Amino acid sequence: MRSRVFVAAIAAVALGVVAATASAGQQRAQANKLTVWLQVDAQSGWPEIVAAANTQFQQDHPGWSVDVQYQNWTDHLQKFDATLAGGNSPDVIEMGNTEMTKYMAAGAFAPLDKTTFDNSAKWLAGLAKSGNYGGKTYGVPYYAGSRVATYRTDLFAKAGIKKLPTSLAELTTAAKKLMATGNGKGFSPVYVGGEDWYVAMAFVYDYGGTIARTQGGRWYGALDSPRAIKGLTAYKNFFLAASRASKTNDGTKPNPYDVYAQGSAAVIVGPSWYSCCVGAKYKTTTAQFVLPSHIKGQSMPGFLGGSDLAVPVTSANKSLGADWIKDFTSTSSEKALRAKGNIPNTTALLGSSINERAAARSWFVPTAKHWVDVENGNILKNMLGQILTGKLTVKQAASSASDNITSVLNGA
Amino acid sequence: MAQAEGTAVAAGASWPRRRRLSRDRILRGSVPYVLILPVVAAIGAILGYPLYSLVRLSLQHYGLFELIRHQGQWVGLDNFASVLRDPVFWHTLIRTVVFTAVNVALTIGLGTLIALLLTRVSAWARVLLTGGLVLVWATPVVVAVQIWYWMTNYQNGVLNFVLTRLRIGDFFQHDWYATTFSQLGLTTTLVVWGALPFVAISVYASLSQVPHELVEAAEIDGARPWRIFMDVTLPILRPILRIVTSLSSIWDFGVFTQPFLLITQSHIHPGNYLMGIYLFEEGYVKTDFGRGAAISLLMLLMVAAMSVFYVRKMVRMGDGE
Repeated sequence: MRSRVFVAAIAAVALGVVAATASAGQQRAQANKLTVWLQVDAQSGWPEIVAAANTQFQQDHPGWSVDVQYQNWTDHLQKFDATLAGGNSPDVIEMGNTEMTKYMAAGAFAPLDKTTFDNSAKWLAGLAKSGNYGGKTYGVPYYAGSRVATYRTDLFAKAGIKKLPTSLAELTTAAKKLMATGNGKGFSPVYVGGEDWYVAMAFVYDYGGTIARTQGGRWYGALDSPRAIKGLTAYKNFFLAASRASKTNDGTKPNPYDVYAQGSAAVIVGPSWYSCCVGAKYKTTTAQFVLPSHIKGQSMPGFLGGSDLAVPVTSANKSLGADWIKDFTSTSSEKALRAKGNIPNTTALLGSSINERAAARSWFVPTAKHWVDVENGNILKNMLGQILTGKLTVKQAASSASDNITSVLNGA
Repeated sequence: MAQAEGTAVAAGASWPRRRRLSRDRILRGSVPYVLILPVVAAIGAILGYPLYSLVRLSLQHYGLFELIRHQGQWVGLDNFASVLRDPVFWHTLIRTVVFTAVNVALTIGLGTLIALLLTRVSAWARVLLTGGLVLVWATPVVVAVQIWYWMTNYQNGVLNFVLTRLRIGDFFQHDWYATTFSQLGLTTTLVVWGALPFVAISVYASLSQVPHELVEAAEIDGARPWRIFMDVTLPILRPILRIVTSLSSIWDFGVFTQPFLLITQSHIHPGNYLMGIYLFEEGYVKTDFGRGAAISLLMLLMVAAMSVFYVRKMVRMGDGE
């Protein structure tokens, strides 16, 4: 018993470390199998595009099969770290554009020959930049997405809203009208999770604020600037008027489109592919618009999210991995992605979909090496929770978050 | 003995016979060591080597860059210094100690009450209760977390519904994850719930050792139930209570799965860290494995200190038997 407790106590702490220190000795390339890590977005949104790329790949490489493993945004990096240490790393991995820098700087990816990919001369500038480090290409742009409002046309008609709001004030008025039509106690005119920082930071950027700025090689958190505080205050007021979502929900659990499909929201804010999952009942009464700015006639800057595809340096099939990326980001594949409501990886295919119009005014996170630690440390979410629950004033919460961001971005 | 042997060698006369004897003696003397060898080897392999790696890692700077190259950078005691200078570490330590104290007190208190209940109820009720306890014990933590999450759901959780229906207050869309207190409170209910069966069944087993005559005698002498419990039952329960208390303390101090999954990654921040989560965030999420190793060694020291108490009790009880 005694030794068992000891073993349990010590082994529990030490096990993880063993995993972290174990050599890559056991890594042995699976016979003729390419392992690809994609995010679940592809699984729920466009599995047939993945299947098409696999078919193409297998045609070019007879005898090879592709094992696509779908990952979650919350823990895919930790799983990837474990494979970097212990082996069995994927041959292709999808990375969020905010996650790339840290890994490129650490040398986690193999350099790729940009010219061999379709449309590489006309890649979206922002996305191409996120996959470039020290002048070399490590990440191939996969797709981008801005954030738009998905809304119920029938509820808007019922509330007597004849034209779509063109300013934040009009949106708030519309929300109040929607609230007044009485759709049940938990109904949100504009459902936004309180800690959904992609939405909240849009307000900050709309009012001319920013999350952090760089000066003389150092990063400074800037959420305590007067403009950012104006933006955060506007967000607080808007949230309290329009959303009955949990103040501490970050927009992932439950998914906003599930709330919408249950009839508990008139508007949800998020990637435009949210229209995929609004439920059969509301399929015909769903449309989208771009969130308006506080300045009439302008659109609110939306977060320009996006993904890159990279080949881990530990892969045993690097050139095959690059070949699969070529198939998955081919012109035909990107056209199909665009048809799903995404922004394709190249300006050559850009049209004027709602998503592409929204992207005309967008914001992006600070391009600091340690940015991903700010995200994973939940600094912004925690600040929003404090503001909305009234635990701290906007100013207090913003200045403490700002100090935190300064220290994390400078690698303290 | 060495002297006797020396004399024998010097004498020379009975040399062959003596040598056989001494080889015999060496063989016989080494038997215990040979027998213990597999155990030592096993412990060395599953405990010693990882521990050695852990100590080595804690003395290195080992981040993402080093992870890819499988080569750390020696930094001496820097990791320990940085952890001990980190105010988050001390706040987390205090929070974890309070959390552990509350959880252990609730577990032991409620567990003992259930055990006492088990001795009083009819046979079928006891079977039912024990069955329930075993089911709790058999429920995987991950499953339990999911059920807890559903019950406390903001939009349509059954807890808010029931509390509102019982007119305890308006719990419509009450957010159980809004404050650190509430988050850790929910975690406490989950941890205590999961640990109750072990405590209740251990204490119940021990209660069956309380002699009936003693209780009866006390009753005849006019002692009230509380007196009987304090003066007759408790002294007999004390050894087992000590053991389950130290075990629970060790478990609750290092608890990770329940808070991590229930509070969820997106709500974890330095203001609600417990030690296990602090270790995970610093080591894995921030990919600073050296620092993570230093934290885990410090935790190991604290748990080891707690274990000393437990082990001493075990040894003393073993001596008594």
